[in-house]
Amino acid sequence: MPRCNSSSRSRRERRLGNGLTGAPDVALRDDELQRIRERLGREPTTVELHAFDAQWSEHCSYKSSRHHLKRLPADGSTVVIGPGEDAGALHLGVHDGVRYAVVIAHESHNHPSQIVPFEGAATGIGGIVRDVLCMGAEVIGVADPLRLGTNDAKGHPGYVARGVVDGIGGYGNAIGVPNIAGDAYFERGFNENCLVNVVALGIVREDDLIHSYAPKGAEDWEIVLVGKATDPSGFGGASFSSLTLDAQESEVNKGAVQVPDPFLKNVLMRASYRVFGLLRERKIVAAFKDLGAGGIMGCSAEITAQGGYGAEIDLDKVNVAIEGMPPEVIAVGETQERLLWLLPADVATDVLRIYNEEFTLPQVAHNARAAVIGRVTAQRRYVLRYRGATVMDVESDFLTGSIRDELPYTEVIRHQGAVQELPAVDIETLFPAVLAHRDVASREPIYRRYDAVVRGCTVLPRGTADAGVLAPIPGSRLGVALAVAGNPRYGRIDSGFAAEFAVLEAMRAVVAVGARPLGLSDCLNFGNPRKPDQYGEFVAAVDGLGRAATRLDLPIVSGNVSLYNESAGGSAVPASTIVACVGVLEDVAQVVTPGLKETRSALLWIGSRELVVGGSVLAEVLGIEGPLPSISYGAERTAVGIVRDAIARGVVRSCRAIRDGGVLTAVARLAFDAHLRGRAIGAEIDFGNPLCEAGGFLCEVSDDSEIDLTGTLRIGETIGGSELVVNGIRFSIPQLYAVWSQPLAELYP
Amino acid sequence: MSGKIAVPVFPGTNSEDETVRLLGDCGGDAELVHWSDAERLGTYDAYVLSGGFAYEDRIRAGAIAAHDRIMDFVAHAAERGKLVLGICNGAQILLEAGLVPGTSVGRKPTAAFAKNAPEPHFVCRHVYMRLAVEPSRSAITAALPKDALVPAWAAHAEGRLAATPQRLDEIVAGDHLAFVYAHNDGTVDAAAVPNGSALGCAGLVNRAGNVLAIMPHPERDGWNFNHPDRCEGTDVLAPSGGAALFRSFVVAVA
Repeated sequence: MPRCNSSSRSRRERRLGNGLTGAPDVALRDDELQRIRERLGREPTTVELHAFDAQWSEHCSYKSSRHHLKRLPADGSTVVIGPGEDAGALHLGVHDGVRYAVVIAHESHNHPSQIVPFEGAATGIGGIVRDVLCMGAEVIGVADPLRLGTNDAKGHPGYVARGVVDGIGGYGNAIGVPNIAGDAYFERGFNENCLVNVVALGIVREDDLIHSYAPKGAEDWEIVLVGKATDPSGFGGASFSSLTLDAQESEVNKGAVQVPDPFLKNVLMRASYRVFGLLRERKIVAAFKDLGAGGIMGCSAEITAQGGYGAEIDLDKVNVAIEGMPPEVIAVGETQERLLWLLPADVATDVLRIYNEEFTLPQVAHNARAAVIGRVTAQRRYVLRYRGATVMDVESDFLTGSIRDELPYTEVIRHQGAVQELPAVDIETLFPAVLAHRDVASREPIYRRYDAVVRGCTVLPRGTADAGVLAPIPGSRLGVALAVAGNPRYGRIDSGFAAEFAVLEAMRAVVAVGARPLGLSDCLNFGNPRKPDQYGEFVAAVDGLGRAATRLDLPIVSGNVSLYNESAGGSAVPASTIVACVGVLEDVAQVVTPGLKETRSALLWIGSRELVVGGSVLAEVLGIEGPLPSISYGAERTAVGIVRDAIARGVVRSCRAIRDGGVLTAVARLAFDAHLRGRAIGAEIDFGNPLCEAGGFLCEVSDDSEIDLTGTLRIGETIGGSELVVNGIRFSIPQLYAVWSQPLAELYP
Repeated sequence: MSGKIAVPVFPGTNSEDETVRLLGDCGGDAELVHWSDAERLGTYDAYVLSGGFAYEDRIRAGAIAAHDRIMDFVAHAAERGKLVLGICNGAQILLEAGLVPGTSVGRKPTAAFAKNAPEPHFVCRHVYMRLAVEPSRSAITAALPKDALVPAWAAHAEGRLAATPQRLDEIVAGDHLAFVYAHNDGTVDAAAVPNGSALGCAGLVNRAGNVLAIMPHPERDGWNFNHPDRCEGTDVLAPSGGAALFRSFVVAVA
């Protein structure tokens, strides 16, 4: 499923299920077990128990979130494939008469990353890349929105923060996919529950898209498993990720975390690209799907059932790493680096040859290979055989059909921050303090460990602008922009607002590099859905996300839900709706490049200039509270229109979306980028409180005479030299740069 | 009629497509040759070993690949004077195979691209490589101007040239130090070096000048769209920047 999450039930429920059946350690609830018994008319087999345990986990079934997610907008003129498959696809443009789509997938790998940060984060990248790959797309980029504990270099949060970054780099660098976007927030609320979200982008000709369900006429087709030899790693993973993290038991849980193998993945990706070429040549419509939670069983059941078929699988034909594993482990274990094809028999032979002989999978990793393990059946039954015996035989639709948990929730009371007088702001001390704040300081110590330029398509690498930009189609001027957002300082205060604002921030970031926003993906990272207050935060976030996306005409084509992000003490992470926005540049030559360009440019603030401090970095530095920014979608659309029009007219020399640290930080970032490129350009600005974070854009323009200035304010201009002059106070740009670039260096030496 | 260039692919190589594409855009006739197809490698006129993590960089970067069947062909070709360019992982493989600096008898490495210092991890950073030998020292650089500055991306964890003082002396004395890291104005200092490399080394050339190993990737800064703020001319799709080295290579192959 597209929205496969990291969630699960509590230990208590797990033991209950255990006690009643006397069966293996599964997390199915009593009422769910009873439903299964009634439907089967018998006791389920051990394999069936584990199969339903995985398939009906929150992770695979979205039972407590799916009905809410229906409220999210999924349609629009740009949508090629909406939610419902392993990844979504948005129409990018036409090159040489061929329509191209950009594929996007978005997931979390929170729980594994908290326990074993390197492997957890690495397999997060590994999994999201497979989601894009199995749509028939070439993987062109990844992004990693991270929510980490307070950035104390010592102790477990620091260990997690470093391990996660090393895992993301270690995997992405090796497979040769550039990391082009991402962010990191450090909050105490993530000390016991980090959030590791991953986003992947792909490029595909729209007529080459491969679906993750059996096409018409697939009866008797072969089911081909490809990749790593199945081993016991990740057995029980779907249930594992549902357990609230309990430090005492984390050691026990380590067996449920998967083992990354980017080396094998590198080869698997390239071999799969070769297979895509073969299918194109022979005009074959096949089906391809990533193995995630639920392993071979979950993947083969869904890919066949969603096309209206059943499947018969012979578990003895599965290539295994060690002999003698029980059938339920082979069927449900979550060994990484595996994918599943449905292919006509004659095509399957050629596909096996590509993987096993041309790309020599069996030599690349121990017993890795492509193998026929079963066939598609017209009867809608899901059947597993092992050593001659039938170990599972259930209705496919009953196994994979939607189950639903309507859990009670508490309405979240919207934040009404008391309006208060803004304190007198001492820019001289506060500006450096804001630049050094953990949410503002340079992320370079993180992203310099990521390869941002492999594939040779990078236009704007990570860190130089609000969004990363690629030119993914050789010979084409079409560009793709990607940005992420989701501010936990807002999440702590108002879940619904934070979700709306995440959409605005991701969209603005894409606009600021000159792109037209196409659509969104999201990941909703929340606490325990069985606690009405925590579940209420989730529901409010879905509402906010849906409202913003609808009002801005941005379809959400891919997403994920991660629940049970709560500590052993029972507190949930700050409400974290993390949004990714994809945009298109019709011509990458139009990209807005980093840094102030010339002296005597006008500096325009376009968009809301509301003087509020709620949720801002300034509020944290001062230890005060206040109202949140108000959101006006009409005004937002106007501001975006002005910026896009100015860029199209060629008068915008540089631009940044105004985010953490306010407009002054946006000016500083443009000045830093000029400084780093050896351009001696500073700025002089005059504005009451330039550290408020209401939003909008800061644009350096050569000529504002042709711009619709409605709602814009000229706050200053660029000057020669290396100083920022703010309300008459002079700052040295190199000194500010030193203040801004240092804080994370201790955590990431 | 230009010569045919092979870009061999080891298991774990990851920069092969852009390498072939830029060679092609610079007028070269280049194609991938897959490891399971290695026996075909004898028929080419020149070779470019591209970046990645061949054989997962097990033991050391390049150590396993240096003994792969592919390298039998590449070493044989190098001995016969054919041109060989190694980029990043390709450079690591050439060093491990003893083809650069090539100061030992037989295929024995005499130096290493060791773990970066002081940051002992993968670093992705834009750099400039300055040509540190006469252009004519290597056929591959012959079409570059003297002191040419080639923009590129360093993206590696093991790129620090390390060798005994005696071996480093040999590298200098034998004029093997082909490229050094520099700032964008051509000046050279420690701050320009992303990995702590001895001699500020970014590239090594063998005695005969037909084998060049460079750690940074010119092909990742090889088209105008890779550096829109340094656009040369008006065509955003045109090769530029790091493409200068690829052009020089293609001219030499022709």
